[in-house]
Amino acid sequence: VFDPGLQQERTSLAWERTAVALMVAGVLLARYAAQDAHPAIAALGVAQTMVGAAVLVWAGVHYDGLHGLLRTGGDVTHPTATRLVGAATVAFTSVALVLAVLVSLTG
Amino acid sequence: VVVLPLRLPSAPVPLSKALRAVVPPDPRRSGTDPDYRFTLANERTFLAWIRTALALSAAGLAAIHLLPDFTGRDPLGVSLLALSVLVAVAAYRRWALAEAAMRRQEPLPASRLPAVIAVGTAAAGVAASILFVVEQVR
Repeated sequence: VFDPGLQQERTSLAWERTAVALMVAGVLLARYAAQDAHPAIAALGVAQTMVGAAVLVWAGVHYDGLHGLLRTGGDVTHPTATRLVGAATVAFTSVALVLAVLVSLTG
Repeated sequence: VVVLPLRLPSAPVPLSKALRAVVPPDPRRSGTDPDYRFTLANERTFLAWIRTALALSAAGLAAIHLLPDFTGRDPLGVSLLALSVLVAVAAYRRWALAEAAMRRQEPLPASRLPAVIAVGTAAAGVAASILFVVEQVR
């Protein structure tokens, strides 16, 4: 094995755990927003679940190819995926906060 | 007392500059590639912060929905969700600043985020549990 610390595998699993967490959080938001009769926020929860699924598939496919980059000493950062997941999480947590404030104001 | 890393500017700050303070530039612009193990460890740390943010927001949403009769429901849910937004915003910033520092072979930037999150989450949990017991005893 080229990578004795299995760095690439651990990082791959971290991406996959995060993608699953995004999907779970999206389902939770969709369900609670639907219960509170906020269909627009529920749709955002569904979109969040789709983003999570896309990241999960990307992580699974991409990390097979990462060994090549490690062998050639290429750049192993993922700024696009990092920004996407960061921005999606900021959006999700903000929407969840808005939902909570709406629910607490309307009782 | 936790002091937030907040300095109020004397003159109005342009929006682009304010945005740069929260979203640092692409770290690949400076320095040279560090040991790939450091890059991947930094990435895993970023992902761990993202999962922390998601867990805090799931807890906040659950508090709002699973504790309908609890007096402290709204403050508990809203404060957990506010913490989750803070963690989500800080996650990318920390990743980019740490990556840039590693590329320039500088020490990693210090951060108050872990202290703020630990104190904030502990305070919310302790306050909620005390309120819960008081409510049950009454």
